[in-house]
Amino acid sequence: MNLRLLLRSLPSCLFILRSAAWLAPGQARADWLAEWQGELWHVWHACDSKSRDRFRGSPEITDFCLGAFRDAFWLGWNNPHSTPRRIFRSGSASRCSVTLALWTGISLLACLSLPGVRRAIRPSTYRDADGLVMISSGGYSGAQSPSIGFQDYQSWKTSTRHLFTDLAFYQPIRRRVHVTRHRGAELSIGRASDNIFKLLHLEVPRIAPDRSNGDYAAKLFLSERAWRESFGGDPQLIGSVTEVAGLRVLIAGVVSQDSWPLPGQLDAWLIEDERRLSLLPLKSKGFVLAHLQASESRQRADEWRYLSVPREDGTSDHFDCISLAQRERLPFSILLFTLIVALIALPATTALPLGEYPRHSGRLPWPVRMRRWVFFWSKFALVVPLVCFTSLDAAYGSHPLNSTTAQYIQLAVSFFGFLFAFRWILQDQRKRCPVCLRVLSHPVRVGLASRNFLAWNGTELICAGGHGLLHIPELPTSWFGTQRWQYLDPSWGSLFNDAYMPSAGVV
Amino acid sequence: MATEPKLSHTAAMILQTIHGGQVYGFSVMEATGLPSGTVYPAMRRLERDGLIVSKWEQQSIADAEQRPLRKYYKLTRGGVATLQAMHERYPLLKKMIADPEVKNA
Repeated sequence: MNLRLLLRSLPSCLFILRSAAWLAPGQARADWLAEWQGELWHVWHACDSKSRDRFRGSPEITDFCLGAFRDAFWLGWNNPHSTPRRIFRSGSASRCSVTLALWTGISLLACLSLPGVRRAIRPSTYRDADGLVMISSGGYSGAQSPSIGFQDYQSWKTSTRHLFTDLAFYQPIRRRVHVTRHRGAELSIGRASDNIFKLLHLEVPRIAPDRSNGDYAAKLFLSERAWRESFGGDPQLIGSVTEVAGLRVLIAGVVSQDSWPLPGQLDAWLIEDERRLSLLPLKSKGFVLAHLQASESRQRADEWRYLSVPREDGTSDHFDCISLAQRERLPFSILLFTLIVALIALPATTALPLGEYPRHSGRLPWPVRMRRWVFFWSKFALVVPLVCFTSLDAAYGSHPLNSTTAQYIQLAVSFFGFLFAFRWILQDQRKRCPVCLRVLSHPVRVGLASRNFLAWNGTELICAGGHGLLHIPELPTSWFGTQRWQYLDPSWGSLFNDAYMPSAGVV
Repeated sequence: MATEPKLSHTAAMILQTIHGGQVYGFSVMEATGLPSGTVYPAMRRLERDGLIVSKWEQQSIADAEQRPLRKYYKLTRGGVATLQAMHERYPLLKKMIADPEVKNA
């Protein structure tokens, strides 16, 4: 049976109406459904009748039934006791929590959809990240650009055997790669020693069949992005021979871009054996990676920071060894650091006490009293991931993982994000009713500022549910230092038609 | 001073149709040419505002005509007053959907 005809059949129409009925409020549902089913009968007969042109075709019947959703939704939304209406009631705790959860979800989705952020939060790509270090002559920030001379690398290969099992070198260069006479692209190429992929335990998924009869000097691995964008993802390219930097090279395979989180936005890797690499000028600079000896414990890899290399003249050069595991954990370390600093700085921006609440609250049922604290801590639970995800989005959405700019952005966004979010949590909690958790309203100025030391002077706010009054002093004094909550007697209840939680006096 | 209720043109059209006499949802749709998703929510709103009232017809009538029960809508006094005010606001309303008196004439 045709799906379109099936949708226009009477059982389908009745099914649509019954589905829509779930949107209508429970107490009015049966009445609502009876009316719509009765109306459907008229529409159905009108369609059968030849005299009525407008309803002759069956699609009109389906359109009529789909209109029921709008009607049922209107009824449900305008029902004062409906759950969505209560959840999204202005100033309610549930509305606040749902909004926070929504923003947290959006920021998490942004994290998962931005490739740079995904790379920053994923688990380590190296199988032995604790044992891998990058050697830099200028600390962490110096490791973002080539800082080690090729001469040093060559000398370390023999002089640091007691520290490292293996050393690898790479040097970013920019060269044009021609695959045919008229087809080529300028790529950022990492000229690297042949052990680099092995040292990093990176998998090269596509190994080309060797169609060159060994007539090449080096192997070129393209990044997946460069292969797709610059060469149209041509599979015939893999295994062909081209010329790069004066060398005949075999395009040997494609490497996933995600598996290269080290400095240098590389489009390709030119893998040369040690004999070819040694032709590089001795003073040319590059990056040096090393693998620690097994005797160096994993914990020490994090702590051990310096490499001292003696010179012939008796002095020594100092280099920093930056653990790759530590580098990968840096975004999380920044978040932890800013979280702690924001907590320390919080008292400077707002008062920490939430106010004075009389013991009268003991007459409230314990779930009502607990609700206040559950809401308070749930705000923290939602705000912390929100700030974390937002700072990661802001930092690594448009900057690479190893960029210093990205780290500064993350530092600033997460610190100010945490600080103002915590400040908002405290301020928001202070202006909510402790019973129904709605935001207090109707502020009234009481007293005169000139009589501050003779009488009470400040602002009064009231709960729209009639649960109590909040007195906020204009100037904190020794006898009125912080805001005070006053529970209202249940006799006040008749004045408030908005009450939906028991007042302290009722229980 | 009583404030004049503000109705959209669609709501005024529906009010005018209901003024015609014993009407139910489908007959309003036929008279106005509006889709069900507009007519029924608008009638709920008019009923909530006290401009119209609804009433199920007697079962015996529906049984005699061998059809399901109908829910009829009619104007309240407030609805009649509002409709008169709407005639001033939308002068073509009477022409678009004729009054029962006009229809009978």
